[in-house]
Amino acid sequence: MKANHLAVGFAFIAAGVIPCAMAQDADGRKLATQICSSCHGPRGESVSSAFPRLAAQQAQYLDAQLKAFRDHSRADPMAQAYMWGMASQLDDAAISSLAAYYSAQKPVHGKGGDAKLVQQGKAIYEKGIAGANAQPCGTCHGKDGEGNAIYPRLAGQHAEYLVKQLVVFKDALRADPNAAIMHNISSGMSFEQMEAVATYLASR
Amino acid sequence: MITNKTKFSFVLASLVFALGLGVATPSLAVPSYARQTGMACQACHTVFPELTPFGRLFKLNAYQIDNLPQVQGITSSKEYELLLNQVPPLSMMFQTSYTHTSKALPDSVIPGTNSQDGQVLFPQQASLFYAGRIAPGLGAFIQITYDSASGNVHWDNTEVRYAKQVSFAAEPLTWGLTINNNPTVQDVWNSTPAWQTPFDQKTSAAPVPGAITQLDGALAGHGVAGLTGYLWWKGIYGELGFYKSSPQGFNVNGLAGPLDSTTGSALTNNAPYWRLAYEHQWDRNSISVGTYGMEAQLSPPGQALAPPSDRFRDTAFDGQYQYIGDDNIVSVQTTYIKEKQKLDGSFPLGLSENPENDLKTFRLAASYYYRRTYGGALGVFSTTGSTDAIRYAPGPTFGFANNSPNSKGWIAEVSYIPWQNVKLLAQYVGYQKFNGETNNYDGTGRNASDNNTLYLLGWLAF
Repeated sequence: MKANHLAVGFAFIAAGVIPCAMAQDADGRKLATQICSSCHGPRGESVSSAFPRLAAQQAQYLDAQLKAFRDHSRADPMAQAYMWGMASQLDDAAISSLAAYYSAQKPVHGKGGDAKLVQQGKAIYEKGIAGANAQPCGTCHGKDGEGNAIYPRLAGQHAEYLVKQLVVFKDALRADPNAAIMHNISSGMSFEQMEAVATYLASR
Repeated sequence: MITNKTKFSFVLASLVFALGLGVATPSLAVPSYARQTGMACQACHTVFPELTPFGRLFKLNAYQIDNLPQVQGITSSKEYELLLNQVPPLSMMFQTSYTHTSKALPDSVIPGTNSQDGQVLFPQQASLFYAGRIAPGLGAFIQITYDSASGNVHWDNTEVRYAKQVSFAAEPLTWGLTINNNPTVQDVWNSTPAWQTPFDQKTSAAPVPGAITQLDGALAGHGVAGLTGYLWWKGIYGELGFYKSSPQGFNVNGLAGPLDSTTGSALTNNAPYWRLAYEHQWDRNSISVGTYGMEAQLSPPGQALAPPSDRFRDTAFDGQYQYIGDDNIVSVQTTYIKEKQKLDGSFPLGLSENPENDLKTFRLAASYYYRRTYGGALGVFSTTGSTDAIRYAPGPTFGFANNSPNSKGWIAEVSYIPWQNVKLLAQYVGYQKFNGETNNYDGTGRNASDNNTLYLLGWLAF
C-alpha cells in the first residue's frame, strides 16, 4: 500500500459521522445485539455461568433490575463491577426497550443435573423448607419457574448464578424491589439447599 | 563494500537492542477504560493485561461503552456529529523494579571489574495514556512512556481503531480498521507477541537473548505504522493489512525528513500482515487457535533504500485457553513463529555469512490466579535458527561465540494483586542456553546460567 493510500484510509476513519448505537438509544434489539450480548449471549442465551440468561425473562423484572443497577440499590459484587457502569447511561425508554426485547425471546431450557440434587431441589421448590421461613418458590416464581411480572423467570437459568444470587440475598447485598422477601427466605437456607434448588431450576 | 565501522555499528545496534528489549515490552490496559465504562477492571481482564472474552469484544468494538458525561452535537437526522467525553479518559502507569543477575555483568570499560550487581529502576517505566472513545465508532489506546533504559520519552503501544457492527446471516458481524505502531498490538488474544501473557513484563536491566524475529517485537517501538482491516463473526476473526516505516526523531540532526540510508533499518515494502483465528466458548471456558504473519523487507543498516532488501517472512501459530471462574482463573498461551530470512541486501555487502537464514521462536506458558489476588505462572521458551558468523558474532556478554542464535530456558513468576490496579510480582528467568551455548556462550567465559535473572516489579496503574 502506498503512503497516500494509508492517508486516504485514515481520512475515511476520521471523517465518518456514524450513528451511535450506544446508550441513550431506545432500540433494545440493537443495544442487546451490539452490547449486552458480549456477556449475556445472542438473544440472551449466555454461555458463561458468570452471566445470567436473559432470554424470556419477565419484562417487569428486567425493567426493575436495570433501574436498580442504575440507582445502585442492587449492589452485589458483579453488579458493581459490570452493571453499574452498563446501566448508568440507560434512560427509561432504553430500559423498557431492552426489557421488551429479552422478554420476547424464546426460553433456554437447561440440561439435567445430578439426579439426587434435582429431586431435593424439586421438593424445596414445590414445598418450601418447613420451619426455615422458605415458602414454596413456585408461589411467586410460577409452577414451572417461568416467573411472573416482578418475579423473575428461574427455569433454565445457570445453577451457579442462582446459587450466587441466593447467597447475595442472604448477605443483604441486594436492595432492589422484593429483595427483602428473598433475604428472609434465603436466610433460612443452607448452601446445600441452595445448590439443590438451583440444580433443579437449571434443569428445567 | 562494508567497512569495519559499519560492521561495528550493526553489532552495537544489535547489542543495544538486545539490552533494551525491555523497553518494548507490552504494558497494560488501563484505568482509563474503567473510568469511561464505569466497570471494574475484572470485566475486561482476568488480571491485567490479559483480556477476558468481554474485554476482547470491547477492544474489537473500538472501546465504545461509555459512562461519562458527554459533550454532544447532533444533526437533524439524529446522527452524532460529536460525542466527546467531558472528562478525557486519562490514566497513568508507574513501574519500579529490582533486577539481579546470577553473575554480575562485566564493566563496560574497565577490564576485570564488574558493573553494579542488583539494579534498582525508579521508575522502570512511567506512562501517560489516553484510552477510550474519541467519537462514535472511533476509539484509541495511546501510550506515551518514559523509560529509564533510554532516559527518553517515546511513543509506546498505540492504536486508533474504528469499528462498526452489522448483521450477517442473522448474526452480529463486527468490521473495523486499526492504525497502529506495532504488529499484533491490535490483537485481542494474549498469545501474540505485543500483549503476550504471562511474563508480559521483563526487566530492562539484564541481558536477553539477542536473536529475535521481526514479529516478536523487533519492529515494536522502532517506527512502523500499520493499517489493517478486520472482521469478527461467530468466533471467527480475520485481519489483513500493511505496515510501513514511520520514523520517530529522524530530524534531530537537522537532516531532511524522508527516510534515507542514515536510518538503521527501514521497511522498504508495504509489509503485509495477516491474521486468522477462531475462538470457541463454553460455560466458563474459552479456547482459541490462530495463525498470523508478516513479510517485512528491510534495508540493511547504512545502505541506500533501494533493492535488494532483506526479506523476513514470519509465519506464526498461536493458541490460548482460559478458564475464568469466580475463585480460580487458569490461562494457557502458546505461540510458534517461524521466520525465513532471505538476505539479498545484507549478503552481498558482507553483512551476513549466509544468503538465507531461518529463525524460530516457541513459547508455552500457563498461569493461575486465586480470586484475582494471588497468582503464579510457569513457562518455557526457545529460539533456534541457522548459524551465521556475521549476524551472530562473538562478543563479551551479548555475543555469540559459536555463531548460533539458539536460546532456551524457563520462567517462573509469583504475583500478588492487592487491588485490581496494583500488581507486585517476582519473576525468575533461567537460561539453559543463551546466544548459542550453555557454557562460555560469548567466548569470554560467561555461561548461560550467569544471566539467570531475578526480577521484582511494583506496578501501579491509576
